[in-house]
Amino acid sequence: MTTAIETIDAVAEAAARRRAAIRRYTRHPGFMIGAIGILLLVMVAVAAPWLAPHSPTRTDLMNTLARPSATFWLGTDQFGRCVASRLIHGAQVSLQVGFFVVLISLSAGTIIGAVAGYAGGWLERALVAVIDILLAFPSFLLALALVAARGNTLDSIILAVAIAYTPRVAAVMRSVVLTIRPRPFIEASRAIGLTPWTIVLRHVIPNALPPVIVVATVSAATAILAEAGLSFLGLGVQPPTPTWGNVIAEGQTAITTNPLISLSAGLCIAYTVVVLNLLGDGLRDTLDPQMRRNTGKLL
Amino acid sequence: MVFYIARCAGQFAVALVGIVTVAFFLMRAIPGDPALYMLGDFATPEALATLRARLGLDLPVWQQYGIFLARALQGDLGMSVVTGEPALAEILASVPSSASLAVAGMAIAIAVGVPLGVIAAVRQGSVVDVAVMLIALLGISFPVFWVGITAILLLSHALGLFPALGATSEPGFWKGLHHLALPALVLGLSVAAYIARLTRSAMLEVLGQDHIRVARAMGVPEWRIVWKLALRNALVPVLAVIGVTFAWSLGNAILVEAVFSRPGLGSTILKAVLARDYQLLQAGVLVLAAAVVLLNTVLDLLYGAIDPRLRQQ
Repeated sequence: MTTAIETIDAVAEAAARRRAAIRRYTRHPGFMIGAIGILLLVMVAVAAPWLAPHSPTRTDLMNTLARPSATFWLGTDQFGRCVASRLIHGAQVSLQVGFFVVLISLSAGTIIGAVAGYAGGWLERALVAVIDILLAFPSFLLALALVAARGNTLDSIILAVAIAYTPRVAAVMRSVVLTIRPRPFIEASRAIGLTPWTIVLRHVIPNALPPVIVVATVSAATAILAEAGLSFLGLGVQPPTPTWGNVIAEGQTAITTNPLISLSAGLCIAYTVVVLNLLGDGLRDTLDPQMRRNTGKLL
Repeated sequence: MVFYIARCAGQFAVALVGIVTVAFFLMRAIPGDPALYMLGDFATPEALATLRARLGLDLPVWQQYGIFLARALQGDLGMSVVTGEPALAEILASVPSSASLAVAGMAIAIAVGVPLGVIAAVRQGSVVDVAVMLIALLGISFPVFWVGITAILLLSHALGLFPALGATSEPGFWKGLHHLALPALVLGLSVAAYIARLTRSAMLEVLGQDHIRVARAMGVPEWRIVWKLALRNALVPVLAVIGVTFAWSLGNAILVEAVFSRPGLGSTILKAVLARDYQLLQAGVLVLAAAVVLLNTVLDLLYGAIDPRLRQQ
């Protein structure tokens, strides 16, 4: 029988814990910079049509490779298009790639990794073998081959990069699940007769998520780099749709007359990758201090 | 040790069959008719049928797979649809150029990344640590092709230190090295950033262990603790890092080759993609994956040499 005072104490304690958790986030400079940085970028991408001073695709052959001015903040490219407007709109492609790649590879990788780690036996061995073999393919190359095979629409680029990154998420997920499987609450769930699927979905995955979320944040950054690389090679979303990668590629041909085109697009990519990495580092420190011991950030 | 080597060789063989299998199904995952893709929309039905028969596309999938696997393990990866030459030969011809870039890049990456990671770990929390980690963060954040363009702009156009092209047809070792230097530097520094970050975390873990504390208590000089005791124990994770980054650096090498117009696997693969030469693309993907598997096998052997415990498992 709990008394009213005990109940009030428990509520207060829970509130204090929540406050402490929030404080852990707000006092982590990297996390705050990363979170605010990515929020700003999302706002720019969403507001692109209103924010951009010009249409990103309107050409003006009388005004090519113009120097930066009040009307064209970063000058114009060889087709007379406003570079600043192209970069602002380019944020949309990069963010969509980052978001959907993480969504797909996180969902698929989590399930595959959790099943492999929890099931054990031949199923685990088979899945691990497949994951290991897929990891032997450089993920950028895998994405490139898939895009080559499936065409370079935004959908197929997202799918290609997501497939290339899923084995990594699955590998991390499995290694985390292996540490969860022997714990008493899993044995308890089994003892009360829950089915394996219920245990995996309700108990294993939620407990294994923190390190996987960290990996996902960082892989959003690598996905954005991969998309930029594909765009740079001419295999990304096709011009005239602006992407940061194809702005760099188009700027390369005019690099000596207006180096600002390529330079500024590279800075946009670097900014996004830095804030995502800061966010990932921050999440690692706050969500799961134990993770610091693990393999690091490459995965 | 003999048993250990045999096991590594066995794993290598299994992995090789695995990547051939993945490469096969990767190309079969193309929706629609590969023959139609290769010949384009205006192909005549006869041409399509001929190509289909030549590629074995009229057989059931499992039979196609069996033939493909048997041929691949004998080194036959089909013919390039564009040139009619054996695909594997065409890919292997571009390997030396890419291999020299990858090896030079990895050498720079290890020479820069490992010491920086160790120093950052030893001085954890100091200005040096923060500076190294900040540089490493920037190093992994800028796209490698952008770094390449910027390097050309600064070091070739403005300062004239290096040629802007990553290769030359002129003979001579030093000439070739001069052209290789800038691409290798760009590739190496991007990988060095990863290696530094991961070496730091591996070293931090080792430095926190009891045997290091005991060595300190016994008055072993600090340089000995760091560079001998700790680094040797951190070497297995560091080697693992090098293995992981190698696959990643091969992906980057494609971009670096494109920036510096350097011939190699990257340009051959790109050429295959643009010409829809799927046989050639498939061979390229296979060779690169095989290179990664080979490196991982060599690393496995090295782990065994470094850490006797791993041999006995």
